[in-house]
Amino acid sequence: MEKIKINLNVNRLEYTLEVEPDERLLDTLRERLKLTGVKEGCSIGECGACTVILNGEAVNSCMVLTGQVDGSQVLTVEGLEVDSKLDPLQQAFIDHQAVQCGFCTPGMLMSAKALLDKNPHPNREEIKTAIEGNLCRCTGYEQIIEAIESVAGRKDCKE
Amino acid sequence: MMANLDFKATRSLQEALDFLDTNSEVKVIAGGTDVMVNLYKENYSYSGILLDISRIEELKEIRQEEGWIKIGPLVTHTMLLKNELLEDKFPVLTAAARTIGSTQVRNRGTIGGNINNASPAADLIPPLIALKAEVKLQSSSSERLMPLVDFIIGPYRTAIRESELITEIKIPLIKEKYYSNFQKIGRRKTLAIARINIAIVAIIDEHKVIRDIKIVPGSATPSPRAFNKLEEAVTGQEITGLNLEELGKLAGEEMVALTGERWSTPYKKPALSALVKRSLTAVIKEVEGDGENQN
Repeated sequence: MEKIKINLNVNRLEYTLEVEPDERLLDTLRERLKLTGVKEGCSIGECGACTVILNGEAVNSCMVLTGQVDGSQVLTVEGLEVDSKLDPLQQAFIDHQAVQCGFCTPGMLMSAKALLDKNPHPNREEIKTAIEGNLCRCTGYEQIIEAIESVAGRKDCKE
Repeated sequence: MMANLDFKATRSLQEALDFLDTNSEVKVIAGGTDVMVNLYKENYSYSGILLDISRIEELKEIRQEEGWIKIGPLVTHTMLLKNELLEDKFPVLTAAARTIGSTQVRNRGTIGGNINNASPAADLIPPLIALKAEVKLQSSSSERLMPLVDFIIGPYRTAIRESELITEIKIPLIKEKYYSNFQKIGRRKTLAIARINIAIVAIIDEHKVIRDIKIVPGSATPSPRAFNKLEEAVTGQEITGLNLEELGKLAGEEMVALTGERWSTPYKKPALSALVKRSLTAVIKEVEGDGENQN
């Protein structure tokens, strides 16, 4: 059981790490880098609580082995804030009361962020598709979708 | 836990094939959307070596060559559904890719993984079988081609050898005008594992007569396969004159003839009937739409 040496850019910082062969990206982020905004929910790719952005794409970090992503760029919810300023998505989630217990929120934010990075003006259907892999069991999805819509600047042309 | 697990990553196909040739107890991982779930279920107690092939760039291409569309096994579901060549040539595959998992799962999961995992509920397998896809299997010393329908030999079982990787999925271009459709029923709209799905690919002439048809349901039999009796019943018929009610029933009967009565039969028989009707109706609509455009 040899350790694997990898380089990883997480939230714009470079890390060189020695990880276990069976270590998931989720474990590396939470246990080694203490980025506990990344949540472990179902562990099998159903709930999306562990969603991070890997090389520009939203992925479930419970389904990625850290050894697979040497040299990659990872963005977690902790990396959304820049210079003590919240990302517009984070502010919109607060303003639209899109957070209740908060467990799904980091994953929701990262799915929304991945969408807006690629498609700054998504319609409601595209927003729903982007967060279809993120389960929320308390607020319901309306406030979350509205929060994302407000940042997407599409509120006025709601279908 | 997992005291005996090792991990090897490679970005070279040759290195991957050589590694498979010289090591035993190797489990290949690509997108990980099935492998990681299995590892979790086994409490990460798998002993052996995980070989990561997810970064082999040459296996991520989609291209047209002579009479074929060739798809690299590491093409993700997201890459499939965004590919314009595929949407133009084989929209039934695009439609199936769109129904898989969630955005996160589609961003990692691959076509090669979907095939090699060989789940009876795999969404890409029915359309690929209906399109007469073949898989290329390579080892460090051999190369062979196999029709996909023969490659999958049972639930979660394939004809792959320990030293082999799927290195290409190829689909013959269809010269004639053809119609296709994919339908799926899951427990919920997204992230659903198909309770039952179906792909239809039909060559229909200008008189609306079905010249050739492939009807492949998934999750209805131990591994997806064409329903030959159903196909025979409609071949040579004018599609707009089909008795859908009868055909739906026939599909259910053919399923039971293939699988026997199972605990799931009371659900799957009428569900399959409904899907057969739904997919044929969609094709008929398209055929009629084309007819009107010509007039």
